Amino acid sequence: MARERVTQADEWQAWAQRYDMEGGIRTFESGLTVKVFIGALFVGLLMMPGSIYLSYVSGQSGAGAAPWVAVILFTELARRSFTTARRQELYMLLGLTGAAVGSGLQYRNFIWYAYFINTPQAASYEIADKIPDWIVPAGDSVGVLTRSLLHPDWLLPIGVYLAGKLLGTLRFVSGQYILFRLTADLERLPYPMAPISAQGATALAETTGKEETWRWRIFSIGSMAGLIWGFLYIGVPSLTGVMMSQPIQILKIPWIDFTQSIEGFAPTGVFALHTDFGQMLFGFVLPFPVVMTEFIASMATQFILNPHILYRFEILHQWKPGLDVRGVGLYNGLDFWMSGNMGKSFSFAVVGMAASVPMIFKMRRTKKTAGERGTFAPPPNRGDFPIWLMGLMWFIGMGGFVWLIHWMVPNFPLSFLLGFAFLYTPLNSYITARTFGVLGRDLFEIPYLHEITFILSRYEEIDIWFAPFPDEDYGRGTQSWRVLELTGTTFTSNLAGTLLIMPILIVSGIVVLHFIWKIAPIPSAQYPYAQMMWPINATNECLMKTSLRDGNSEMLQALRGDYVAAGFTGSIAIYGMLWVFKMPSMWFYGIIGGIGADPGSMVARLLGAIIGRFYMIKRFGMKRWYMFNPVLAAGFACGVGLIGMGTVAIALVSKAVIVKPF
Amino acid sequence: MEKIASLIIIIGTFLWLFSILALGGRWQWQMLSALVLIVGIFTAHFWEELRDTDSDEEKD
Repeated sequence: MARERVTQADEWQAWAQRYDMEGGIRTFESGLTVKVFIGALFVGLLMMPGSIYLSYVSGQSGAGAAPWVAVILFTELARRSFTTARRQELYMLLGLTGAAVGSGLQYRNFIWYAYFINTPQAASYEIADKIPDWIVPAGDSVGVLTRSLLHPDWLLPIGVYLAGKLLGTLRFVSGQYILFRLTADLERLPYPMAPISAQGATALAETTGKEETWRWRIFSIGSMAGLIWGFLYIGVPSLTGVMMSQPIQILKIPWIDFTQSIEGFAPTGVFALHTDFGQMLFGFVLPFPVVMTEFIASMATQFILNPHILYRFEILHQWKPGLDVRGVGLYNGLDFWMSGNMGKSFSFAVVGMAASVPMIFKMRRTKKTAGERGTFAPPPNRGDFPIWLMGLMWFIGMGGFVWLIHWMVPNFPLSFLLGFAFLYTPLNSYITARTFGVLGRDLFEIPYLHEITFILSRYEEIDIWFAPFPDEDYGRGTQSWRVLELTGTTFTSNLAGTLLIMPILIVSGIVVLHFIWKIAPIPSAQYPYAQMMWPINATNECLMKTSLRDGNSEMLQALRGDYVAAGFTGSIAIYGMLWVFKMPSMWFYGIIGGIGADPGSMVARLLGAIIGRFYMIKRFGMKRWYMFNPVLAAGFACGVGLIGMGTVAIALVSKAVIVKPF
Repeated sequence: MEKIASLIIIIGTFLWLFSILALGGRWQWQMLSALVLIVGIFTAHFWEELRDTDSDEEKD
């Protein structure tokens, strides 16, 4: 029997509807109250140190859990006080707590560059002495050597960062809002993925009512699972790290490397089993076809394509026996995959265009008959802003940003900066806003844009690699405005909350990161993830930043036109053949995501997807399982986060006591 | 139109395989096949999206 053809838009919408269990509401209330503000600040600042510490220990900040903890505390307090919490308040609490917890990580580049400037890699690539002083003080400065962010040496880097942040707030708020008005109000795009974000707040708002719902039970199950897993994976290494020089890891963080075990029959193949089995929860949530095809494609790459085709034909020629996953990955990348992946990324842009341009045509044609779109009038009481004011804010923010970059790199051609700021950024943002509005995800990305720009500009100084660049994307953020609309939260209250909490977080983030850095060097044995990854990241950063030097760098040599073309054409050929044989377009995203990747990094996700697809759906039914999914994942993240915060608190106190001289 | 789009895509894919196996994988030939494939994929999506609109308008 012939397979029926389903359009890509219908396919994606059908998936989005599986998660969308509730319609949006259209009565708007402020979510910002004094108790919300203080609650967010209290929980956020309490968890921020743990979040920073976790990111250096396990590579994941656990910041996702903190907002949920705040919301649970809030709802429990509401229940004990015989009052109710509103959906708007809880959504606002989620946002503000998330901002508070993440505020420490915004300065992580300072710690990274303080490490990078003194690495042997930076010295051997001759860039250590060329890193600008607006990024990090000199490698032998007191501020770096004594690991103190509060030293006057850091005044310039922190000042430049804060100026950029202020201008960035102006640009992003106004840019996102204007695009939201264009796509959601004027064009009435559906934003299919926005209801998922709105569901979490709803789940917990319901618990403050008279009857407990299934959501609370599912959230608790997820939390308990997260607590157990978090204790084994993060708690044990953190706590033993306090007492021993080498922490005990029940499961090796971040992976168990089997690359040398497979090199006999699959030379140039990699397989490093990632031990963060919390990823199983993502496997529950992600579409099964994507997870499955991604894994199959990665297996085919590492066990067939790499060893039996690319290695046999000496395309992968630098490999030698005995290398671990990082070494094989580095050489494979230089030999082929850096170019191949670049081609693959371009194929996403072409495929996205091919899918969305006809959609625009279709919408224009249906608009004439339906007549539902084409009005800019916002719903009443939503808390909208004048468009002209937002436009002015964006111009001031972008103008100031361009001036700041020009001050940082005065010899870089200003025309490139202006072109990116006022032509590329609006266009790129609008395209992304549209794809989010229709498909709920970003499809457009031009890879290696900075590198291409630097080549075209003929600018050879290294400082441009450290400067920010005005190639921005506000399209992704338009979805959060849609979530505000769905939860009935007024825009003005959200903006007021963000602006009120920002100055507090700017100061507290620096102080907390200073303290964490002060008690132990980063990286060191106490921070296994940073110790494992930062040296290889330093090498990669050196390769990247010297890629255009003298036109003869390792990276530039690694970028080969025929390999880029192979990655690009091969990818769109796969897409085309999937279309010809009427296969789901989701397979394309899975296959292309999996090609060249390490299958070991996908095992946990695959397990989750298989359990979800073949057990959970049968047990609970498709509809109920997709209702449970996001709540279960939120509960799990909350459980892991709680354990992380607890153990980190113990570790921090212990280390603080140990380093005291008296 | 569906068959034309399929035919263009199949031609593009075979051209690409031929450029890899017989023409040494030179980027110029690969990009030519990519161009053919892109034409095929755009044709496919235009047909896919606009066929329902056309039939709706005819009904009106």
